[in-house]
Amino acid sequence: MENKNWYDKYYKIMFIIPIIIFLISIIYLFSFHARTGDLIYRDTSLSGGTIITLQGSYDIASLESSLKQSIPDVSIRGISELTSGREIAVIIESSVSPEQLKPAIESALNTKLTDENSSTEFSGPSLGDNFYRQLITSLIISFILMSLVIFVMFRSFIPSIAIIFAAFADIVMPLALLDYMGIKISAAGIAAFLMLIGYSVDTDILLTTRVIKKREGTVNQRIYGAFKTGIFMTITALLAVLPAFFLVTTIPDSFRQIFLILALGLFADILNTWFTNAGIIKWYAGKKGLN
Amino acid sequence: MAKLTIRIWILIIALVLAALMISPTFKTGVVIKSVEKNSTAFNQGIKSGMIIKEINGQEISSLEDYSQAISTAFTSDESRIDIKTENENFVFLAHNLSEITVGKIPVTKIKTGLDLSGGARAIIRPENATVSESQINDLVSITSERLNAFGLSDVTVRPAKDLEGNNFMIVEIAGTTPADIRDLLGSQGKFEAKIGNETVFEGGERDIADVCRSDASCASITGCSPLAEGGYSCTFQFAVYLRDVAAQKHADITRNLPLDSTGQYLTEKLYLYVDDQEVDSLLISSGLRGQVTTQISIQGSGTGATQEEALKNTQSDMNRLQTILLTGSLPYKLEIVKLDTISPKLGAEFTKGIFTLAISVFLIISVVLFIKYRKIKLTFAVILTMFSEAMITLAIAALIRWNLDAASIAGIIAGMGVGVNDQIVIIDEAVSGKGGNESIKEKVKRALFIIVGAFFTIVAAMLPLLWAGAGMLRGFALTTIIGVSVGILITRPAFADIVKKIEG
Repeated sequence: MENKNWYDKYYKIMFIIPIIIFLISIIYLFSFHARTGDLIYRDTSLSGGTIITLQGSYDIASLESSLKQSIPDVSIRGISELTSGREIAVIIESSVSPEQLKPAIESALNTKLTDENSSTEFSGPSLGDNFYRQLITSLIISFILMSLVIFVMFRSFIPSIAIIFAAFADIVMPLALLDYMGIKISAAGIAAFLMLIGYSVDTDILLTTRVIKKREGTVNQRIYGAFKTGIFMTITALLAVLPAFFLVTTIPDSFRQIFLILALGLFADILNTWFTNAGIIKWYAGKKGLN
Repeated sequence: MAKLTIRIWILIIALVLAALMISPTFKTGVVIKSVEKNSTAFNQGIKSGMIIKEINGQEISSLEDYSQAISTAFTSDESRIDIKTENENFVFLAHNLSEITVGKIPVTKIKTGLDLSGGARAIIRPENATVSESQINDLVSITSERLNAFGLSDVTVRPAKDLEGNNFMIVEIAGTTPADIRDLLGSQGKFEAKIGNETVFEGGERDIADVCRSDASCASITGCSPLAEGGYSCTFQFAVYLRDVAAQKHADITRNLPLDSTGQYLTEKLYLYVDDQEVDSLLISSGLRGQVTTQISIQGSGTGATQEEALKNTQSDMNRLQTILLTGSLPYKLEIVKLDTISPKLGAEFTKGIFTLAISVFLIISVVLFIKYRKIKLTFAVILTMFSEAMITLAIAALIRWNLDAASIAGIIAGMGVGVNDQIVIIDEAVSGKGGNESIKEKVKRALFIIVGAFFTIVAAMLPLLWAGAGMLRGFALTTIIGVSVGILITRPAFADIVKKIEG
C-alpha cells in the first residue's frame, strides 16, 4: 500500500502547513488591529453612512472623479450582467448622510434621483456600532454553542478540540485574507461567518466519526475513505457558492458577500480538516490503539 | 413497482401541503389592496383582497387596464362606476375611486422582502431616551395611525428589541416611497398654534375635532405662481374644526387684542409651529375677536423647481400638516438610525438574478453528482430531495408570513447545500461501502450520527442571529434553520429509503 506509506511519512509536515498559515493569519490580524483598532474594515451597514445604488449604466471613472471633489471618501463600483455585459447599476458608498450624497450625485450626473431610478440605504453611526457589537457577540455565542454540541457528540477532549480548532481556523484565515485584500465587510458578511461555523464542521465531524467509530480497515484507510466523501462534499458546496461570482453577478451585494465568505471558509476548511484535523486524529487513534 | 415506505409517503404529503400553501394562482384582474375607512366604497362592503374583474363592462386583466378604465370613467359624462368583482357587483355614483388602491394579483403566497420588491424600511428610536417596551408600543400605535392618516396603504410598523435590550420601532412601507419619508417618520410632529406666547390649540384629539381632507370644498391647493428667484410656489388651504375648549381659548385670548391700523385685522397674528419651527402665520380678521369659533382655515405653501414639482410638494406638505393636526405629537423626539429605500425596478433586477443563480446552482450540483456517481436515478433522487427541501421551506415561510429578503434566500440556498452534503454522507456510508464486516444497520447509524451532529452545529451557530441587530438578519438564520430542520425530519429519511430502493 503505497498510499499508506506516503501518508505515514508526510502527515506531520502536512499537519504543520495549515498551522503556519493560521499563525501568519493571527499575526496579521493582530497587526491589523494595532493599526486600525478594529478586526475588519466595516462597510457602511456597520460603521454608518450611505449606499446609493443607481440603476443604469454610467461612466464610473468620471463620476468618481467629480464626486471625490466634494466627498473625499466616496467609493464607486458597477454591477453588470456577466453573460451579456449589460451594466445594470452603479453602487456609490460614502460615510456622509444621504442629504449630502444625493445632491452631489445629482449635480455630477445632472439627473434627479428618485425612488424609481435609485435605492438608498442609510445607517446611522450609532446603530452601526451597535449592530457590529451585537454581531460579534453573536459570533462568540455561536462558536461556544457549536463547541458544546461537538463536546456532547464525541465526549472526548482531543478529537473535540481538534474540530473546534479547525472551525476557529476556518474563521481566522478568511478574515485575515479579507483584511489583506481591503474588502469591507457588511452585517450580512458577519452573518456568513456565523454560518461558516456551522457549515465547515460537517467534514470534521465526518472524519472524526469515521476514524473513531468505524471498525473496518486501518486508520489510514478510514481517513482516506472520509476524505473521499468529505472532499466531494466541500467541492459540491464550493460549486454551489461560486456561481455567485462567475455566473450571476446581478444580485444584491450583501447576498454576494455571504457566498464570498462561505467560499473562502470552505477553501480554508479543506486545509484545516484534511491536513491538521486528520493529523491530530491519526495521532490520537495511534495513541489510543485504535486500528 | 416497489411499495412506498411511510417515510416516502410523509415526503409526498409534505410536498402536496407545500404546494397548497404556496398556492400559485392564474387568476386575472387586479386585487384591492386597501379601502379608505368610512368611505362610500367601504360602506358598500368593498374589502381589501377582493379581485376586480370588470369596470363599466370593460374587462380588467392588468393594472394598465384598471387605470385606463378609471380615467375613462373620470372623463365620462355619467357619474357612475360599475364594478364587478369575482362574486359581487357594486355601483358608485361618482367620477372616481380614489378611496381604493389596487395592485397586481400575487402569483403565489410567497412574499418577497423590501430589498427585492422595493419599498422603504426605517429603524427608529427615541433620541436620548431609553424607553420601555410599553412606551415603544405606544409609539408604534401612534405612528401606524399617522401613516394611515397620511394615506399609505401597505405599511407595517412593529417594535423590535435587540440583544442588548434596546427597543426600536421598525417601519416598512411596500412599493413606492413617499418623497418626504424622513420628515414623516422622523419628526415628532408637535403642532402648536400660538398668539403671542399663548398656545391656542395643539395637534391631536384633545383640541382638534376634525380636519378637512379629501373634500375639495374645504381643502384645496389654491394656486401656483412663479417665484422671482426662479421656481414655483403653490399655496394650500384647509379647514380645521376645533373642539369647544380650544375655541373658547381662542375667544379668551383674542378678546383684548387691539385692531391694527387698517381696522380689518388684529395686531397679533396666529403663528403655526411644527416641532418648534414656525411654518406660517395667519392674520386674524377683526370679526373673530372674542368669538368662540370652531372652524379655522389653515394656509401654507410649497415650492419646487417646476410647477408640477411645486404642486406635488405642496400637496405633500398639506397632507403632512393635516396628518399631524389629526394624530397629534409623538411622545418623544425621534432619531432615524437606519433608512433604506429600495427602487422596485432594481429589486426586480435582483430577483431575476437570484432566480438565475438558484437554477445554476441546481444544474451544477446535478452535473457534479452525475459525474461522481454515474447513476441517473441516484442523481435524480438527490435533485428531487433538494427541490423538495426548498419548496417545503418556502411553504413554511409563506405559512408564517415571512417576507423573503435576499438574505433569507441565501439561507435557503445554504440549507440546500447542507442537505446535499448529508445526502452524500448517506450514499457513501450506507450504499457505496457495501460488504465488509459491518452491518448495514451500523453504517446507517453512523451516517445518522454525522447528519444529526451537523444539524445541531448549524442550528447552534445560527441561533444567536435570530436576535442580533434588531432582527435585521433574522431571515438568514430563520430560513437556514427551517431548511435543515425540514431536511432532517422529512426529506433525509425519505431519501435514505429511496436510495435503498434504487440500490436494492
